[in-house]
Amino acid sequence: MEDVITEIPPPSRFFQEDLNNFAPPSQPLPSPFLLFSDPKTEPLRPSLLIITLSSPSCYLFHNMCNKILIGSLILPEIPFSGNSIEPTLADKCCNIYALNDAADLTLLVSLKCSLSAERSNIVAKLLVGNQIIPERVLILGSVQSQNFRGKLSPDETYAFKLETLAERGNGSDSGESSLLEGVDYFPSGSMVDGLAAALLTQCQIRNIRGTLCVSWPDHGSAVVALVRSLLQKKVLHGFDLSSTAGIEDKHSRKTQIKDHAFDSELYT
Amino acid sequence: MEFITEPGKQPHPDCSTMILPALSIGNVGQLAVDLLVSSTGAERIGYLDDPYTLPCVGNDAYGPIPSGDLALPLEAYQSPANAMTLVQQRSPVIKGMMVEYAKNMAEFAAASGKKHVVILSSLEFARWQRIDMSSGLQIYYLSSSNTDGTDDSCAQLGWRRLQDYDPTQRSWNYLSSLAQGSTMQESTLPFEDEPEEEDYCASLPFAALFSCLKAKGLKVTCILCYCSEGDNMADSFELAEAASKLLQLKPDNFIGGDDGKWRIPFSWKTVYGPPPDLSMF
Repeated sequence: MEDVITEIPPPSRFFQEDLNNFAPPSQPLPSPFLLFSDPKTEPLRPSLLIITLSSPSCYLFHNMCNKILIGSLILPEIPFSGNSIEPTLADKCCNIYALNDAADLTLLVSLKCSLSAERSNIVAKLLVGNQIIPERVLILGSVQSQNFRGKLSPDETYAFKLETLAERGNGSDSGESSLLEGVDYFPSGSMVDGLAAALLTQCQIRNIRGTLCVSWPDHGSAVVALVRSLLQKKVLHGFDLSSTAGIEDKHSRKTQIKDHAFDSELYT
Repeated sequence: MEFITEPGKQPHPDCSTMILPALSIGNVGQLAVDLLVSSTGAERIGYLDDPYTLPCVGNDAYGPIPSGDLALPLEAYQSPANAMTLVQQRSPVIKGMMVEYAKNMAEFAAASGKKHVVILSSLEFARWQRIDMSSGLQIYYLSSSNTDGTDDSCAQLGWRRLQDYDPTQRSWNYLSSLAQGSTMQESTLPFEDEPEEEDYCASLPFAALFSCLKAKGLKVTCILCYCSEGDNMADSFELAEAASKLLQLKPDNFIGGDDGKWRIPFSWKTVYGPPPDLSMF
């Protein structure tokens, strides 16, 4: 039995390897890349790029008709096994869709797999600023309870936003309003990490108009309805959302049935 | 590491002293930089984009009323009145890439004309070998001024040189070689054996930054304090005050609140989470 008095206690905010100059790095992974059905030499320049990272937003857009699959983000560390020919919500993939025509192109990137924090920077640079150069970006993520310093009730829904300087400044200069009016800013002292943060950081650095919307909780009919109502006001104004009517209850049942303990790559 | 200037801002040529935190127990260096930025009214002039820093984003950390200004993983602030640049780091470095990160930071510091870099960090209290509480919280330092790590300015402030610093010790020697870009055979890697007590300080992030900045020919001073992990705000005040004394910052150049010199950053109100739900009592 260890001596609790003399044994060095482990730090709680850092892992030991976070503070060790000599920790060996992880095995390098092959670089991710974008694959389009109709490859072009010029970058795509959508007027709006929507990136869905949260379960409610992925579910909402999955049920939206009139979107055309135009490509995928290939992550070499994510196996294709278990994925269907036709995209389904259970697939572990990241598909790219066009939501309208090229004249006023809105692109949708729907990420339906986990991405490690270490890979977030390279994926964010791939999606924003190289082969895809958007005028405006909307990222739909979730509040991460471990990084949130306020109170989160499981019985209530919340939505917060963060905007780049270009998005905030542009609104005051041109009179054009924010994509998500009426949504409060994310409280100071709390943080968002992972791909959502990496994407918004790239938007800020590249002076792109970017908005990150995080919602809570990450499942349930109420939050799907909340996300839908936020997007209907402006972002998806003019889009046919009739196919998404009444899907909130189905999402609630679906997330209750899913057992994460058995979400194993061994079983396809 | 790329430096991106914020629109409408321009780095001030006189801000040649740079203060930056090194990740450490209690996040004391980072808290101290928060305090210095908030209390000197330093203005953000840009961001650093580094591939080895994990991503994070939040609302304005300083206030007085956050208005949606983004807080990013690596930010550069300047206080021309105090002739200093402050770099704040908000997220960890990817495992195993600390030396690469330190090299990038050293490259940035040298390229931007910095002359003196002050690193703020902390050490684990459980590792304190020789306890001496006679003079209160003891500040330790490590300087590039002399080969043994000593510096007259720091000694005159009553600080003690970090006792565990020995440039000939295997880990410090190895770090120095990495910082200079030398390749060494695997047999000389210190971490093949079980790390010993003497390897502890050299394994910490402040040591990587110290070695890499020193290799660039910059003057480097590490200011360190021992602490336990918990509410480390008091430790951060000590470290920030120590930096203020070393750099002889004038009290008039601080915009402290009701308590005098220091202004608490707005984000500190919830740094340790929300208050408990009293309805359970």
